[in-house]
Amino acid sequence: MGVLQYVAKRVGLYLAVLFIGLTITFFLPRLLPTNPIDAYISQLQSRANGQLTAEAIIQLRTNLEELYGLKGNLFSQYLGYLNRVIFHLDFGPSFTYYPTPVSSMILTALPWTLGLLLIATLIAWVLGNLVGVVAGYFHTKRAATVLEVVGILLYPIPYYILAVSVILLLAYVIPIFPLSPTFPVGPLTPALVGSIVYNSTLPALTLVLAGFGWNILSMKALAVATTEEPYVTFARLKGTSNWTRMVRYVFRNAMLPQVTALALSLGTVFNGALLTEILFSYPGVGLLMRTAASSGDYDVLYGAITLSIVAVATAGLVIDLIYPLLDPRIRHR
Amino acid sequence: MAKFGRYLLAPVLGALMATTAMAQSAMTDVGTPRNETLIVQNFDGKAANPDQQNPLNAYAIWRGFRELGWSYLWEDDTATGKSYPELADGMPEALNPEHTKFRVKIRPGVYWSDGVEFTTDDIVYTLATSFKYKDKLTNVAGITSYIKPDSWKAIDKYTFEVETQKPAYDFATVMGVYSWASPFIPVPKHVFEKQADVTTFKNDNPVTLGPYTVKAFDPNGFWQVWQLRDDWKRSGWGNLGTPAPKYVLYKDFGAEETRTLAFVKNQYDEDTFMSPDSIQAAQAKNPAIQTFSPTMPFNDMNDACSYGVYINQQKAPFDKPEVRWALALSLDLQTIGITAVNGQFKAAALPLSDTPITNPLFYQPLLGFLKDLKLSDGYQPFNADFGQQLVDKLKDQGVDASVLPTGAEVQKGYGAGWWKYDPAESEKLLNSVGIKKGSDGFYTMPDGSPWSIEFVIPSDWNKVMQRVGFSIADSWKKAGFNVSARQVDNGEFGTVQNTNSKFTLMVNWANTCVYNSNFLNSWRVFNPDNVKPVDSNDPLNGNLLRVTDKGIFDLVADATKRETTSPEFLADGQKIASALVTGMAEINLMNIPTTIPTNSYYWTGYPKADNFYAAPYTWWSSFKKTIVTIKPTGKQ
Repeated sequence: MGVLQYVAKRVGLYLAVLFIGLTITFFLPRLLPTNPIDAYISQLQSRANGQLTAEAIIQLRTNLEELYGLKGNLFSQYLGYLNRVIFHLDFGPSFTYYPTPVSSMILTALPWTLGLLLIATLIAWVLGNLVGVVAGYFHTKRAATVLEVVGILLYPIPYYILAVSVILLLAYVIPIFPLSPTFPVGPLTPALVGSIVYNSTLPALTLVLAGFGWNILSMKALAVATTEEPYVTFARLKGTSNWTRMVRYVFRNAMLPQVTALALSLGTVFNGALLTEILFSYPGVGLLMRTAASSGDYDVLYGAITLSIVAVATAGLVIDLIYPLLDPRIRHR
Repeated sequence: MAKFGRYLLAPVLGALMATTAMAQSAMTDVGTPRNETLIVQNFDGKAANPDQQNPLNAYAIWRGFRELGWSYLWEDDTATGKSYPELADGMPEALNPEHTKFRVKIRPGVYWSDGVEFTTDDIVYTLATSFKYKDKLTNVAGITSYIKPDSWKAIDKYTFEVETQKPAYDFATVMGVYSWASPFIPVPKHVFEKQADVTTFKNDNPVTLGPYTVKAFDPNGFWQVWQLRDDWKRSGWGNLGTPAPKYVLYKDFGAEETRTLAFVKNQYDEDTFMSPDSIQAAQAKNPAIQTFSPTMPFNDMNDACSYGVYINQQKAPFDKPEVRWALALSLDLQTIGITAVNGQFKAAALPLSDTPITNPLFYQPLLGFLKDLKLSDGYQPFNADFGQQLVDKLKDQGVDASVLPTGAEVQKGYGAGWWKYDPAESEKLLNSVGIKKGSDGFYTMPDGSPWSIEFVIPSDWNKVMQRVGFSIADSWKKAGFNVSARQVDNGEFGTVQNTNSKFTLMVNWANTCVYNSNFLNSWRVFNPDNVKPVDSNDPLNGNLLRVTDKGIFDLVADATKRETTSPEFLADGQKIASALVTGMAEINLMNIPTTIPTNSYYWTGYPKADNFYAAPYTWWSSFKKTIVTIKPTGKQ
């Protein structure tokens, strides 16, 4: 198979996944047992002390359908949605917070999500894999078992328990970090950056600890298996050093599945980290999606889910495209 | 490598040093002196639209605008339930016997925060803009459906006249505040008229009529800090008293776990709905944390609304009063209240809260009715000793007697009584309509088919109702009802309550919100326009109790033609309450328990049971009274 053909096939698959994803995204929120217009009218009725008459509500419903773009049958709404999203990257206004545009809500939340999750995911991946390969390569040594125990201890702890424990320890018992962050506003100065880093450290730490354990165990298992491979034995017989065998023979070969997992993890960071955002009052896409789902705010859901689909599909495409560079077996097939 | 390490550590160390410095000078995280800042937990956690501050649209309503930024023609004294003029100079004057034309005078000498005088031009502009853009503005429907189009005119700078679409005896509580909010919020003409498009104008950092202005807000929606105006005396409610805090910070302190820890550390002063368990844990660590009342039930019970079981009275077999009464008499409310809310609740048998305001208006006058009430078989269902029995039960369960009310305080704390727990009578009533128990111990339909009941309750977005809901389901199950409690998110909750075809039974509060004599606030929706077929998928416009009783419709229609404070009006309300009870249209359970713990480390004088000068909520405009009543402790 030629390179061009390989790339074209992958890109075609990518576009098909995006189209199917966008279509499902359009129809799925409409299966929610929630009507955004009714939800908003209930709020207004409460503020108006029950004054809204039946006629007033019918008029209000018509107005809101117009404003929210919910006029017409489902198919015409679907075509309008594809047109807006694909050609104009426009997700329309939030229903619950009309007239705030969805794009501005996502753009406000996204940098926080990416800043926290990208860094935490990368740190957890790098540290976990480094510890894991040492634990796997030297798996017969007592010290390696100690490293593995770290992973075994951390991995099964439910995230909620882990996060609350970290909060208790580092924000209450030893109050180094804030119990709930306050991100200041203003121009991006070193002091502001310092404050953001300081306020984000605790949620980042919990995410690193949560991801760290899985990476250790996963890499350790891969490293143990790879260590048994004939080419590692051959390298040992050739007289190569432990360091060389561990890094160049074991780590490099064991890394492939881990790279796939990393790429997919990076794709899913666009979903946000709901529990982290709730526990740490951290701004992000997760809370945005949760609020939108509970209030039937289709447009916000469309925006956030589409972003996530694009990210995960793109991550998959990137893996497909760079795999030949990492694995000669694929390159030469 | 060492150089790299220095780069890496520098911002972290800098941040740590900055934090330490802040801690030493007792400043808040937003840079205001802690001892001059009242800090409250956000009611809604995080706002998704914090920069949307235009009250003509859906705006960040829970960030203090209603309490500190806006000002209204009339406010509600939440301690007495009576309206009082705020921007207005006196109460509205009806100009015709039909009560459709009104003259209103506003107080001279009130200024917007940018120094421009507030006049009737602002009122007229707000009304005109609301009507002009009613198809695009999303928060004006309450006014445009109440006021007659183009009926307003400014007589002079301080007097205007306006007409309503229908006879209106509640002008002051629609154009002003009823308990917590008003549909009419004056906006500054001189600011809004300069905007190219008022329908998309965000109005962030708004010019305010209240004594505070927005100092800063978090674009992510977690906090907002207000600063007292230098000229607060000439603000919309500058005549109410001297605001004590120079700054008021609304902030989300996160999940209840982190909130409790922050409360213990005196990081904020007033909470919203903290669970009794967390309050107890916090009090054990910090004596400055206080509940609303020192004795049980410790919570504030003066919310405008009450929790109840709403029943689809149009759906068989719930269309029979015997079935609805059977459900009521199968509820062991004492056990439910102990299980779900640690016995911290106030029972309310009428379809409204039993508060110091509503008690003399409804509960005391109707106590005789409740005691004498007989069901179709002559059974008398009311238990006037409910409160004392509950106290005895709590004592038996080991609750310290010193925190339990005694004597007359029992009724004040636990209510005037509730329905008997009598599953035997319940079975008798069901048998009378052909519903009998099957071999599995559960009731079956009259034709012998299985009778499964869906009972909708909130998921964890309302933990108190959720817990109450599960306990109710348990009580019914023990009595032989094959009920399953289904938790739903708040969006679906609204859909279920509004849609006949989806609704059977649910815990709810929305139609039982009567704060004073003006019961129409909640019961106006009982009219024939708000009845839909039992299988309808169309949303209801109120009437969530599914009232179809013509007698009640007539009483509501009659009441709309009367003064809301007149004895005749009140008599209509009492008759409606009696009719709803007689038919058991709704199994009213309890006042909404609102815990509202406070921290008196930096501030004292919050509204409490023994100092009830206002409702204790920071998310109602009653917070104004709190602001001018609390005192700093002087602690740094």
